[in-house]
Amino acid sequence: MSEETTAIKKIFPPGRSLYTPFNVVIGAILIMGVILSILRFTGGLATVTNLDNNYPWGLWIGFDLMAGVALAAGGYTTSAAVYIFGLKRYHSAVRPAILTGFLGYALVVVSLTYDVGRPWRLPFPFLVQQGTTSLLFEVAACVGLYLTVLFLESTPAALEWLGLKKLRNIVTKLTLALTIFGVVLSTLHQSSLGALFLIAPGKLHPLWYSGYIPVYFFVSSIFAGLSMVIFEGNLSHKYFKDKMDETHLKEHDDVTLGFAKGASFVMAGYVIIKIIGISVANQWALLFTPYGIWFLVELLGFVALPCFLYAIGVRDRNLKLIRRTCIIAVIGVALNRLNVCLIAFNWYLPLSERYFPHIGEIGLTIFMVTVGILVFRFIVTRMPVLYEHPEYESH
Amino acid sequence: MESSFHTLHEFMLFTESVTYIIIVAALLGILAFWRFLDGSDRKNDLGMDEGEE
Repeated sequence: MSEETTAIKKIFPPGRSLYTPFNVVIGAILIMGVILSILRFTGGLATVTNLDNNYPWGLWIGFDLMAGVALAAGGYTTSAAVYIFGLKRYHSAVRPAILTGFLGYALVVVSLTYDVGRPWRLPFPFLVQQGTTSLLFEVAACVGLYLTVLFLESTPAALEWLGLKKLRNIVTKLTLALTIFGVVLSTLHQSSLGALFLIAPGKLHPLWYSGYIPVYFFVSSIFAGLSMVIFEGNLSHKYFKDKMDETHLKEHDDVTLGFAKGASFVMAGYVIIKIIGISVANQWALLFTPYGIWFLVELLGFVALPCFLYAIGVRDRNLKLIRRTCIIAVIGVALNRLNVCLIAFNWYLPLSERYFPHIGEIGLTIFMVTVGILVFRFIVTRMPVLYEHPEYESH
Repeated sequence: MESSFHTLHEFMLFTESVTYIIIVAALLGILAFWRFLDGSDRKNDLGMDEGEE
């Protein structure tokens, strides 16, 4: 708590009032989060959640974990683009993307400690019983390993800040190996998160359930990550422009256009494979039901539309349009994960038995997002994330 | 629509036929889409490079 106070003091110099509307809101959210956390860990899940036997996975899994992991995919997509595909002109986007990814995954793990009934058993899959036939084991192993990879990938900035040259040089030599390992792990667990639902064909609505659901999750994670990098880049450009060096400022537009182009193309592919999924299962008739209309809203309104808008934005080099479109794309991916996890899950149950998040679940989700934003701000205002450290510019 | 199928063969024949048509259309469509995305970008890149130099 004292560290946070020091951080806020450093961000806001003594001459400036701490009681800005932003700080007051953030402070209120943090206090609410601490209270809810105490309630969760003293009173149990029932105190702050509406989870039951029909819905053991609620908002924390649907949004914090599923959407969080998808939106944190910017780390592997950016590092793969730069270090594997050689698109060096996007190099300035790597560090912020990896940092966003690392914070995203870290918060996923923190959220899991809230969501799992007995969080002290989280290391059990590795230490006590491997359960290697379980998809959850694979997800746990990949998320654990990938979090480590992201941590190592994001350490050069911290090591440069701390002046630990030798250690920093050792870690940067591992960049390519870590990138490849990160891509492999991401491919595995992004798809496995979708594969978890293969066990519940009777529970998930047929329009969302498909044998191809792991592919859908993986492909959507690519454009989720790309869109998130654009989104995060725009926010950083707006609020941390003074922290950016010439290279970052010069490459920013190029990153936005390049990533929008990539996202648009992948989105087009995603729409196609979703249509093929409907065709293979011959579920055309379901499109004319209320759930079908909702499915079309998700697919056309939050994937096909941003795909088209990105394309127009790239063609016309309309950065404003791309910046607005990335918000639709990010919401679309979050909506897809919520649809799979909550809205289209147990779709046949009467409304009275359906799950709606408890205010405590919503509050803690807002708390997690706020903590992520604060930590991101703490790091980028201190460490060389949006600029190259003068002593290491050759990298 | 589902009631019009009497055998698995009929179902597979119908769905596979429709899917293959969609795949061919999608392959052509994605090519056209890529040209739409990339074509003007290439021109812009050339223009921007000249301008930068």
